[in-house]
Amino acid sequence: MAGRYADIHDELRSVAGDLLTKDRPARSEVAWPLLAQTGWIGLEAPESLGGAGATFEEVAIVLSEMGRAAARTSYLGGAVLGVGTLMSLQPGESRDALLQGVVSGAVRAAVALSGDHESAVVDVPFRVERTGGALHVHGRSSFVPDAADAGRLLLLADEPGGTPVVVGVAARAPRLSVTAQPVLDETRRLAAVAADGVPVEDSSMWRFDGDPRQRLRGLLDRACVAVACDSLGLGDAMLAATVSYAGLRRQFGRPIGSFQAVKHACADMAVQVSVARRLVRAAAAAVADGRPDATRAAAMAKSYACTAAVEVVGKAMQLHGGIGYTWESGIHVYLKRAALNRSLLGSPAAHRAQLALGYLARVDT
Amino acid sequence: MTAGLEDFRTGVRGWCEAHVPAGWRESQTGADDDEFVRFQKAWFAELHRAGFAVPHWPREWGGGMSVAEQIVLYQELAAHDAPRLVLAFVGIHHAAATLLAAGTDEQRRRHLPAILDGEIWAQGFSEPEAGSDLAGLRTTARREGDCYVVNGQKLWASGARHADWCLLLARTDPDAPKHHGISYFLLDMTTSGIEVRPIRNAIGESHFCEIFLNDVVIPAVGLVGPENAGWQVAQATLGAERGMTMLELAERLGNAGFYWLVQACARPDARGARPIDDARVRDQLARFETEIAGLRFLCRDLVENNDAGTAAAADASVVKLYYSELLQRMTDFGAEIGGLAAHTGLVKPMSSGWESGLWVLDFIGSWEWTIPGGTSEIQRTIIGERGLGLPREPGAT
Repeated sequence: MAGRYADIHDELRSVAGDLLTKDRPARSEVAWPLLAQTGWIGLEAPESLGGAGATFEEVAIVLSEMGRAAARTSYLGGAVLGVGTLMSLQPGESRDALLQGVVSGAVRAAVALSGDHESAVVDVPFRVERTGGALHVHGRSSFVPDAADAGRLLLLADEPGGTPVVVGVAARAPRLSVTAQPVLDETRRLAAVAADGVPVEDSSMWRFDGDPRQRLRGLLDRACVAVACDSLGLGDAMLAATVSYAGLRRQFGRPIGSFQAVKHACADMAVQVSVARRLVRAAAAAVADGRPDATRAAAMAKSYACTAAVEVVGKAMQLHGGIGYTWESGIHVYLKRAALNRSLLGSPAAHRAQLALGYLARVDT
Repeated sequence: MTAGLEDFRTGVRGWCEAHVPAGWRESQTGADDDEFVRFQKAWFAELHRAGFAVPHWPREWGGGMSVAEQIVLYQELAAHDAPRLVLAFVGIHHAAATLLAAGTDEQRRRHLPAILDGEIWAQGFSEPEAGSDLAGLRTTARREGDCYVVNGQKLWASGARHADWCLLLARTDPDAPKHHGISYFLLDMTTSGIEVRPIRNAIGESHFCEIFLNDVVIPAVGLVGPENAGWQVAQATLGAERGMTMLELAERLGNAGFYWLVQACARPDARGARPIDDARVRDQLARFETEIAGLRFLCRDLVENNDAGTAAAADASVVKLYYSELLQRMTDFGAEIGGLAAHTGLVKPMSSGWESGLWVLDFIGSWEWTIPGGTSEIQRTIIGERGLGLPREPGAT
């Protein structure tokens, strides 16, 4: 039930905020072993496997703080998607061992969730073929979050019968290529993954726990909300930075924040961040509970928060004036990340198109 | 959603099916004043009999519904296209919130049951020279023995022609700084010296009024809160009241307004083309649905945080600003989608909501949200200064 751990949210937020910003060179990598020590990787994993037994709501808080700090981490691919994917599989010896390894920090995972990581609908990028007695996986996926740093890749694939499964392969497996794909946002690392008949062991092909299509949709919803959380943090950080700057920076003999043109722009940013926060919180709760409306909530959160973040950060750059356009100010880092988030895992328009399917159904019946 | 809440919804749904007056839109279209007042009072009494008139009041005064139940109630009323409580609005929201927060026991006992019996209230705050700068108001109340004598002019008092009582702000200390010389009164509208004149608004309705006050005597028991603390009383109660009113309006926008907008987009034009078959139209609908979802969450938070005493200073302004502008954008879209046919709806049914489905009238009427109750510009200033802590405009007093 969502809200189970609400009493620790403020503390988690403050601890995460401190760890991600204090005593760190700006936007330096948050090392994986450090993330493992915090316990954030395994927040959702069962305690029996080394996790904290918490929920996606707590993960969402960490994600928002990472956005706020524009932190350079592999948390999205390695923890949110890695742990989330493994948790959606049927338990068993090999899955449990891998999950335990990921939670402990010993194994870094990444998940190839879709063909292009740009679609708002589920598409299974890989297929498993059985030749003779052996299994091989084929397919390709671009812009896979955190794949270049992963030791273990989890590929969403259709098995020979057509049922979606998850296949685990080593990053160094033969006939597998993982190619870093540099993007303007230097705080995220994406990679192209291509499998051209990579051998798969039977014990590394796992079935979903429950209806595979629903599980796949659930993973995509989770990924979308994760990105929306990040954008919420980006926007909130830039609102705070702008308000602070507008209170200090003086022109015409007074703080620029006393001018209505600036003050009202800040008010509009605050409204957008407030709406984004509520939509994101609702979507995180829906994902945490696995509710049937999670897909709609995720589409709303992803489309609104990612659009709002670009607008809010863009306004932050504008209101900082010349200094805001410099490399040194770092606002460009937030703007690039906000723009990337907007495109990652489905554009706002693509998500709204999914929401709108219901309208046609409503009026056509 | 809990089983109890679902049972409650079933009950409300059944009640709506049995009690929402059939054909009220037709009978209220072009209805004269007497018919409007009769209809509003009858509908209020009907809601009151069911316990639905003042769900947001404390239990001891006849309310006591949880926020979750109120939301369900408003959702079902909207979904069944129930008429809105127009005339009772100020009484059940502004007057009640003020009396509950700052009134004496005697004032509460005198007025809260009377409001439930149909006592109508108006709000006399704005003046010709005191709009956005409300604290610059000039109407005076001069103490004489155990009475105050009031002189001045009030503007934009909605429903004042039908009001039994009026919430009045008047200056009691002309020498004090402007925010510290105002007092808050309860004014009996049958007192001699009061003249009410309607003002026709942009959509042709005349519910706004001017009130002329000429040596109007208010007994000292009509003072709310301490003398000269009227501004503070008004500030303290208006935020709380805002959440309550928005809860209903947001559910209306979500359940009635959005539904009608989708229906409007599905109506074929003369050539048989439907706007909804255009992906850009669907995209805009999805934007609205998303924003309405956000608005509903914010409204719920505002009410709950007000109850818990944890609402931030500008939360009510965020909600008012966002609702007003969303309403304006939605009705604008409806007007555009509706084409010329939408211009043939000449009269809006009395007692209907802000989104009646007559989109051009609704669009023009939406300025009744972005201007009164603190314009959108004033709300942005409040959000900037009280919410974000930005410096005040130098020279502004």
